[in-house]
Amino acid sequence: MVAISGVVSFLLTIATLGCIYALLTIGLNVHFGFTGLINFGHVAFFAAGAYAAAILTMPPPSEVAGSQYLYGLDLPMLAGYPVSLAVAAIAGGFLALLIGLTSVRLSSHYLAIATFALAGVFEDVLVNEAWLTNGSFGLNNVPKPGREALGADAWAFAYLAVTVALLFGTLVVVRRLTGSPFGRLLKGVRESENAARMLGKDTTRAKLKSFVIGGAIAGLAGGIYAHFVGSVVTQQFVPNVTFTVWTAMLLGGAASNRGAVLGAFLLLTFQESTRFITTAYDAILDVLPSAGADAVQSVFGVLPSHPSFIPSVRFAVVGLLLVLVIRYRPQGLLGDPREIDAIGEEGD
Amino acid sequence: MVDFAGFMQTLVFGLIEGSVISVGAVGLTLSYGVTRFINFAYGEFLTYGAYLALFLSGAGLGIAFPLPVAIVASVVVVGVLGVAVSRVFFEPLSERGPLPLLITSIGVAFILRNVLTAAVGVNAKQLDIPLMRGTEVLGVRATPIEGAVVAVAVATMLAIHLLLSRTILGKTMRATSGNRDLAEIAGVDTNSVVRKTWFVSAAAGALAGVLYAILFAPFRPTVGFNYLIVVFAATLLGGIGRPYGAMLGAFIVGLATQLGTSYVSADYSAAYAFLILVGVLLVKPDGIRGGEI
Repeated sequence: MVAISGVVSFLLTIATLGCIYALLTIGLNVHFGFTGLINFGHVAFFAAGAYAAAILTMPPPSEVAGSQYLYGLDLPMLAGYPVSLAVAAIAGGFLALLIGLTSVRLSSHYLAIATFALAGVFEDVLVNEAWLTNGSFGLNNVPKPGREALGADAWAFAYLAVTVALLFGTLVVVRRLTGSPFGRLLKGVRESENAARMLGKDTTRAKLKSFVIGGAIAGLAGGIYAHFVGSVVTQQFVPNVTFTVWTAMLLGGAASNRGAVLGAFLLLTFQESTRFITTAYDAILDVLPSAGADAVQSVFGVLPSHPSFIPSVRFAVVGLLLVLVIRYRPQGLLGDPREIDAIGEEGD
Repeated sequence: MVDFAGFMQTLVFGLIEGSVISVGAVGLTLSYGVTRFINFAYGEFLTYGAYLALFLSGAGLGIAFPLPVAIVASVVVVGVLGVAVSRVFFEPLSERGPLPLLITSIGVAFILRNVLTAAVGVNAKQLDIPLMRGTEVLGVRATPIEGAVVAVAVATMLAIHLLLSRTILGKTMRATSGNRDLAEIAGVDTNSVVRKTWFVSAAAGALAGVLYAILFAPFRPTVGFNYLIVVFAATLLGGIGRPYGAMLGAFIVGLATQLGTSYVSADYSAAYAFLILVGVLLVKPDGIRGGEI
């Protein structure tokens, strides 16, 4: 097989990561869009899934030099892959259950703070409990299922296909769920918890279920991610991920599943393209006549060359996007304004 | 005896850290009182305070004020920044309820933090503080700088107390916090009160950031955001919107953090603040101190 070009491989990476972010966004949408729960700790469920998948399939520590972790269950690949993803989803759902049991009764802003803080503590646990997570070195031998048999290029296509299938499967399930009587109960909780309670509904239980479902979807995303990237490191699971997913959800439109997918893809494509900022800037300077180039340079100067420059521009734009969407288009690109108005502020 | 001295030392560190937290928590709680949303961008005021003090005191910009002058200047500048942030980002949304404001504050936090990071990078920086040998009293050691930090914090608390209880601005702040519509009807220019409160709140945040930078140098652009949980814990423990509660909450969080770090595990210093946070939320979301401010 002819080696695929860098552009194709870049696009494949964007598409696969886009699907993974779409899953995260769908999970958050179950929480916020459909139930009105403000979850500022979404990254913890993603991390739980990724770590569960990694621990289940990593080779035992005796085979990895310099390892600190004690358990690598070394599930055989391909056959073990569905098991690994199932456990990842369960891990995300279980963590959501634990966090939800303590916090889900809290009203909106307190829930935001509690989930934000809990995710912070979970991050601390991942860094500190090296016997399980290999600490800040991370678990770097997560198997990529089928890669040896297929070779790198065919594998990239195959893994994308699997990821797309999982995304569609999840979409179908979530669609059916939100259209079911249970989905209407969630929307009822979102619009007026008191009214739902007065009708005899156990709203705390409904919120807890919503939390677990969204957490499990994020855990599944974590499992897919771990086997795609092949390593799981604590620095991948920082609060920025949570708020990137929030931006994707609000950009696409809260309470819209299609919106969640669109928002995730738009945001991820933007983020991945920012790596060309400096190249593009230099190219613009080259193309412009010298007077124009001087003018541009006098405005922007020489772009800083430190390695955190591009990531910080990227996240500053994410923040700006969040601000602009909330101010000018609260229903996002594909959302229904009536659904957004319905996300109530009751219970403060 | 050794253990007892160690315990006392831990308590003193707890009080020192508590005094830094209290300045931050009072600022946060004051702005909540009049704006009614939890400002996730508040941590950036701490960060900007620390970095401005750094740059104004001679790191890189060619300006080299003496440190105290630089600190005062940075506190004032960040206060103005707070007013600007509120006018640009938050005032246009003030009729839309707390949820859009909350999410906007996340966006603002991202913008402020990453613009700073893009400009200065993530390398750790340090204020030019001389290393000092601690003075030992009854087996407990503290440096003059730590003493100064506590003194500044106490003076700030006192100033805010006088502001709230003795000045017209303080009274209108309390009125606006208690019931904005009623205050408006009674002739209070609540928009102006809200802006002034933003100034005080952001300035207090900046001061907390400077004090943090002095005590726990070095720092990075994420310093304020990372300290946010601790400030939230103190604020909620005291009952959000209640300045005196925030002061008390801050000392409890400071003590708990130091005791936990010394006697349980140093790996989880942020987790103690968090445990308090969740405990308060579950048991008594109004905080330990009831009543109006």
